[in-house]
Amino acid sequence: MRPFVSTSLAVLLALALASPALAQAPPPWKQGQPADMASSPLAPIAQPPAPKAPGEIPVDKIKVPQGFKVSLWAHGINNARAMVWGDKGTLFVSSRVAGNVYAVVDRGGQREVKTIAKGLNLPNGVAFKDGTLYIAEVSQITKMVGIEDKLDSPPKMEMVYDILPRDLPHGWKYLAFGPDGKLYFNIGAPCNICIPPDTHANISRVNPDGSGFEYVAHGVRNSVGFDWHPTTKDLYFATHARDWLGEDVPNDRFDVASKKGLHFGFPYCHQGDILDPEFGRGRSCGEFAPPLLKTGPHVAGNGVEFYTGSMFPAEYKNRVFLAQRGSWNRTQKSGFRVMMVTLRPGDVPRYEVFAEGWLQGDQIWGRPVYTRQMKDGSLLIADDYAGAIYRVSYQP
Amino acid sequence: MAAAGGTAALAADLEAGRRKAEPCAACHGRDGNATTAGTPSLAGQPVYFTHWQLIKYRDGRRRDPVMAPFAAVLSDADMADLSAYYAAQRPVRRPAVTDPARVAAGRPLADLYHCSSCHRPGLVGQEQAARLAGQDLDYLLRLLRAFKARTASDLDGTMTVATQPLTEDEIVSLAHFLATLGEP
Repeated sequence: MRPFVSTSLAVLLALALASPALAQAPPPWKQGQPADMASSPLAPIAQPPAPKAPGEIPVDKIKVPQGFKVSLWAHGINNARAMVWGDKGTLFVSSRVAGNVYAVVDRGGQREVKTIAKGLNLPNGVAFKDGTLYIAEVSQITKMVGIEDKLDSPPKMEMVYDILPRDLPHGWKYLAFGPDGKLYFNIGAPCNICIPPDTHANISRVNPDGSGFEYVAHGVRNSVGFDWHPTTKDLYFATHARDWLGEDVPNDRFDVASKKGLHFGFPYCHQGDILDPEFGRGRSCGEFAPPLLKTGPHVAGNGVEFYTGSMFPAEYKNRVFLAQRGSWNRTQKSGFRVMMVTLRPGDVPRYEVFAEGWLQGDQIWGRPVYTRQMKDGSLLIADDYAGAIYRVSYQP
Repeated sequence: MAAAGGTAALAADLEAGRRKAEPCAACHGRDGNATTAGTPSLAGQPVYFTHWQLIKYRDGRRRDPVMAPFAAVLSDADMADLSAYYAAQRPVRRPAVTDPARVAAGRPLADLYHCSSCHRPGLVGQEQAARLAGQDLDYLLRLLRAFKARTASDLDGTMTVATQPLTEDEIVSLAHFLATLGEP
């Protein structure tokens, strides 16, 4: 077969996905499923429409290392996802399909939950700077100025950046301020597996006034969690790998973008060493940045956070917490835990469990999705399935 | 996925749901089987589906001048009770005038467009995916057209994506086919 044939095929497939009118596409989660798996019972786990009552949340099942303690910090937060602190101690919490953004206020040991925005389009991203809350939906970033003084009558959402792609598959965003003061977010691949348009499958950034858009990392299928190393200031991020390639492959990734413009392999190469059976033809994994760490098949790595507090033992300083929301595209469930990564320059990072227990046998009762340190150095874990936030503290 | 369905139903109160559904009966029928053309039946709809729709009416993502005031006053517990009540009712196929040629054309389209991947074989629905079997023909047409036009509220984008390749002719055939499914 002459080389141009496979190129033409790739172009045709890209066109087919970019122009839905040409294709009888399956639902996004089923796209890329091989014909011999058409009757597979595997399917995404449905999001409950309501948060669990405290009595239905078995916090004691969450296992943490010796000396650590877990408590239920807040509940009744439908689909609670990413968390960010306001300057005055308000915890802002995002959601995805619930369409809400919440403010959690600590009143004398009791947490009060207020819904400050509703009816939004998968508002997964929240970031905060200088009194202003930034919210990322599928195709836009907006802001609420002075929100912490107006929690009961929130200010209107002002447009920051409104020309992001409108694709819904992997359209929800993580949002965070980098050490350079810019807003970083993902533009996910609009598919399970495809040649994405040049505008997709990346991590990007804009200035807080919406100017200066640029791509930071390419070939990133969908990263909905990242953070910066406290001293090197490098960007570290988690990526969800493609589905339907197998029970044990490919691994999700944990990566470092030590400079701008690197390509991390999607859709050609997965986990640094597996060429995609369809899109990898004629390519080599050596063309792309290898993963810093393979984090496991289908684990759904979401939250990424460097620990900078002083409550936990000294060896936790600069460790990374990875919240893994858990698998659906695997017969034996994987993930549903918070992992920790210890970076070791020149060596493979150490990778171990920090918190687990949301998966009991084959049954799940919660899905840890993001973490956020508290001022005192304890760690909050959001569970979007139970609609709850846990607090992990340490007492030697 | 089986594990997920229990939570909301467990907390819900069927008898409370029956009482709370009384104001809904005028349009949706006492047992959730509506008789007015254009109004969807709720009987046999999955718990998650009805509950998510009520949330969307309440927060304004799903817009309807009749439903909005009803949903505006519902608490989360009301929604759980109503959803559980309707899920427990036996769905009856709506009496639609369907075109046999359309029905025959629609049957393979349901396979071609992977409808049963989420809505289950027989299009009986599950979790957040609606029961389509025997639903009101006008309502099916209206929703399919609205999803394609990107004006219908979609929980996570799945239906908006799924309807993009459909032609108007295919939408009509699919709706006719779906309306003939289920028990009378």
